[in-house]
Amino acid sequence: MPFREINSKMVEATVTPGQKMFSQRGAMLAYRGDVSFTPNITGGQGGLASMIGRRVANEATPLMTVEGNGTVMFGHGGHHIQVVQLTGDTLYVEADRLLAFDGTLHQGTMFMGSQGGVMGMVRGQVTGQGLFTTTLGGHGAVAVMAHGGVIELPITPGRPVHVDPQAYVAHHGDVRNKLSTALGWRDMVGRGSGEAFQLELSGSGAVYVQASEEKL
Amino acid sequence: MATFRLQGSKVLAVEMTGDAVRAKNGSMVAYDGQMAFKKMSGGGEGIRGMVTRRLTGEQMTMMEVKGQGTCYFADRASEINLVQLHGDKLYVESSNLLCTDGGLRTGTTFTGLRGGASGNGLFTTTVEGTGQAAITSDGTAVVLRVTPQYPLSVDPGAYIAHQGNLRQDFQSGVTFRTFLGEGGGEAFQIRFEGDGLVYVQPSERNTVGGDV
Repeated sequence: MPFREINSKMVEATVTPGQKMFSQRGAMLAYRGDVSFTPNITGGQGGLASMIGRRVANEATPLMTVEGNGTVMFGHGGHHIQVVQLTGDTLYVEADRLLAFDGTLHQGTMFMGSQGGVMGMVRGQVTGQGLFTTTLGGHGAVAVMAHGGVIELPITPGRPVHVDPQAYVAHHGDVRNKLSTALGWRDMVGRGSGEAFQLELSGSGAVYVQASEEKL
Repeated sequence: MATFRLQGSKVLAVEMTGDAVRAKNGSMVAYDGQMAFKKMSGGGEGIRGMVTRRLTGEQMTMMEVKGQGTCYFADRASEINLVQLHGDKLYVESSNLLCTDGGLRTGTTFTGLRGGASGNGLFTTTVEGTGQAAITSDGTAVVLRVTPQYPLSVDPGAYIAHQGNLRQDFQSGVTFRTFLGEGGGEAFQIRFEGDGLVYVQPSERNTVGGDV
């Protein structure tokens, strides 16, 4: 367990020799010990191919590699931080919400269209998140940023959870997501309730929702 | 009746079994179960309420949420306070009202001079009936009790709501110093007298009174 929450907006990570960590560039606040920060041109794991993949997918956030021996404190923009433990499952998260994660996790990019087909693509457009999202799989911990704290809602089969696309932060587990619309004639005449689009998540897992409808 | 519960301090969870609540337009962040969202023209107060709101500028766009399951509401990461009403009246700024039980009535009322100084217009929103309501505040709000022996003065920019049998009047501490530009920044206060509760937030809106 490399992350320790100092308060709701700051986490402390322990790095030991031979163990890499990735974090958003510039998110380091303080460190103790002998730690080095190297900008990561490829923007994460994998070789050149993954880098091109991320560039094309516009999921390339400037990352840096953290190595050495000591403890590092991370925080960014006063946003609340949620630490998610992954035990073999996959976390789906927007690249710009990633604060730091273990080097042991595999990073990937997923095309939304592959989940939910055309509606998946529409979803990316509607939510302003683009057509791709970042996936992290394996065993380890991830620190995710959100505006105003996060609540975790469990998703169980037969009980789907609907989330406002702007308040959606991340999800993990075996979850299918699709965009559900509740567009009615009221929305057409400008008398909508502001809840015309929702993200419907079904399957089993959990979704993280932030207490705000503001993007980072 | 819908049950209101706080999930953390910034998210309101409302459990509904086929009944309805009214919430600020677009404030839903997540739900499970079946929900329907419908905008209420004029805050659900009928034609008269709609016209009143237009005229007074105390605008409030609310939606009706109806269904079965749990619905989560949040508004720009502001803190949420639950208020229980037992037939009494809650006075709240319309921008601070997040959610009310479907059985509560809302309306508008004239506040007098206070509104002008608090930067909220001359009118305020009232919530009346029996049930729960949720109000938002910038930072954790404090609830101050007012008794006949202990009247209370509040900065207009920090005031968010009050309930109970209270009389409010506007107090000004304008002296010759204020005109010289040497005011303490606390030239105006709202004074509450009577018996009731006042909700105050640890943050001040930009007000006319705050500058002098």
